[in-house]
Amino acid sequence: MNTFRRFGKYLIVTGALVAALAPIYWMITISFKHEIDQFAVPPKWFRFPPTLEHYAEAFLTRSFGQYLFNSLFVAVASTVFALLLGTLAAYALARFRLPYGLDRKLALWILSTRMFPAIVTAVPLFLIMRDLRLVNTKLALVIVYTGFNLPFVVWMMRGFFAEVPRDLEEAAMVDGDSRFGALWRVVLPLVLPGLAATGIFCLIVSWNEFLFALVLTQTDTAMTLPVGIAGRVTQYGIKWGAMSAASVVAIIPILAFALSVQKYLVRGLSLGAVKG
Amino acid sequence: MPTQRDLFKADQSLAYLFIAPTLAVLFALSIYPLIYSIKISFQGNTGNATLANFARLFADRFFLAALGHTFVYAAIALTIEFLLGLAFALVLNHNLRGRNAFRALLLVPMMLPPVVVGVVWRLLLNSNFGAINGTLKGFGFNTEALTWTASPTLAMASVIIADIWQWTPFMFLILLAGLQAIPQEPYEAALIDGSSAWQTFRHVTLPLLKPAILIALLLRTMDLLRVFDHIFILTEGGPGFATETLSLYIYRTAFRFSNFGYAAAMSFVLLVITNLISAGYIRLLQTREA
Repeated sequence: MNTFRRFGKYLIVTGALVAALAPIYWMITISFKHEIDQFAVPPKWFRFPPTLEHYAEAFLTRSFGQYLFNSLFVAVASTVFALLLGTLAAYALARFRLPYGLDRKLALWILSTRMFPAIVTAVPLFLIMRDLRLVNTKLALVIVYTGFNLPFVVWMMRGFFAEVPRDLEEAAMVDGDSRFGALWRVVLPLVLPGLAATGIFCLIVSWNEFLFALVLTQTDTAMTLPVGIAGRVTQYGIKWGAMSAASVVAIIPILAFALSVQKYLVRGLSLGAVKG
Repeated sequence: MPTQRDLFKADQSLAYLFIAPTLAVLFALSIYPLIYSIKISFQGNTGNATLANFARLFADRFFLAALGHTFVYAAIALTIEFLLGLAFALVLNHNLRGRNAFRALLLVPMMLPPVVVGVVWRLLLNSNFGAINGTLKGFGFNTEALTWTASPTLAMASVIIADIWQWTPFMFLILLAGLQAIPQEPYEAALIDGSSAWQTFRHVTLPLLKPAILIALLLRTMDLLRVFDHIFILTEGGPGFATETLSLYIYRTAFRFSNFGYAAAMSFVLLVITNLISAGYIRLLQTREA
């Protein structure tokens, strides 16, 4: 009976794994198939002559190389800014008791700004960016994504700082370190793994974001990978191969990163990581 | 020698200095746009003050349809994702060899850019050469009626399936974490009492899992009500208006028809709905803790 149940469990898990991964695998095969094999019935899951023509088309003859660069630039810049600003705020909110419970109220208010549906702020932000002549610039996306990631950084880092015993930095301060020196030399090294995980979550959010990128960018100079892919999908005469190739490239860094933050996933997700 | 209390009191001004930049950025990127949005929602075409945008909401059958689609979409996807996620969490809560590897692999869909999820499902669901119909044809089924994203009735199912595929892992992960935080003692007590598996689940697991369940439902509901990305890729709200959700209709109103005032008015409806629902969840969470 017990082995029977055990077997059943493995069967369920295997079924779930196939359901989760087969669709992605199918897209990967499309990106490596000649067009004639892409449309074969019954579908060719395993045996087909591979080709790199779609990757060449997407990244050499079309502008996906530029989109890739834009995505990387925007993701890294917005993550760096969000970590810089957010970590300072998180430290202050974790360590100081402000009058009238202000520290707690501010922390909650910061988190609540993340709860707005994206489309609610997308409409006015587009108009504001248009007035500032920032539409179609990478800067606009860096600014918006920094704001997107800030509440998340504050809450994640606030938790990590709270786990560091106060005695350590107090000892450093009694020994003559300034508060900033104690933060830099004593506390920050201790929360470094948490900081790295937080940064990776920010990179994923910025990398995956679509709506703001769609609204704020229209030309190759600022378009990110998701917008580039979407532009190919909604036109007539879809280039399935090039689109799949671009999608495969878009998921490679995500998978590498996702595996490295397994340990912090639950904490991150309950604060709204991964999706903006 | 300063006491601990003095040290932290001494540089309170430093605290404000540390928090100020974050507050400034968030103010500029969320409060100011919200005020801006309120302003334009009360403006007519000529800039005069008007309630026309809000009055129009009640007469606009497209808006009402989009609202309906959003609720149907959210309710169906939430229910199925929750039940599947709970089932997998219960299965994987026991010591299974390779559990961590299973868990890591099951989470992959959730990490993907939603745009890529749209692409993946377009490739699978295309009625001519998609892998799903192709495989069914291979087994000798007639797939002529299965036009998926091209059919008004199946299009909604298509976008919901894609959502379930991507986000069931999220439910699974949060619920599994909740299950693993439950101590062993209540289970031992239930065993001694001779409870059946169902009774144990109903009276021990479920009540203790309630906070995790509520948090998972809250976060998913918020995301489902604002869904945009993968629907934009899979169906663009079509065919016709069949899968147009509120976010898509607001997007179209603002960025295709340049009617920003009306779009802002509709976005307030969305904001109020999500706030009310999240307040409801949070109240449920707090009553449990009290």
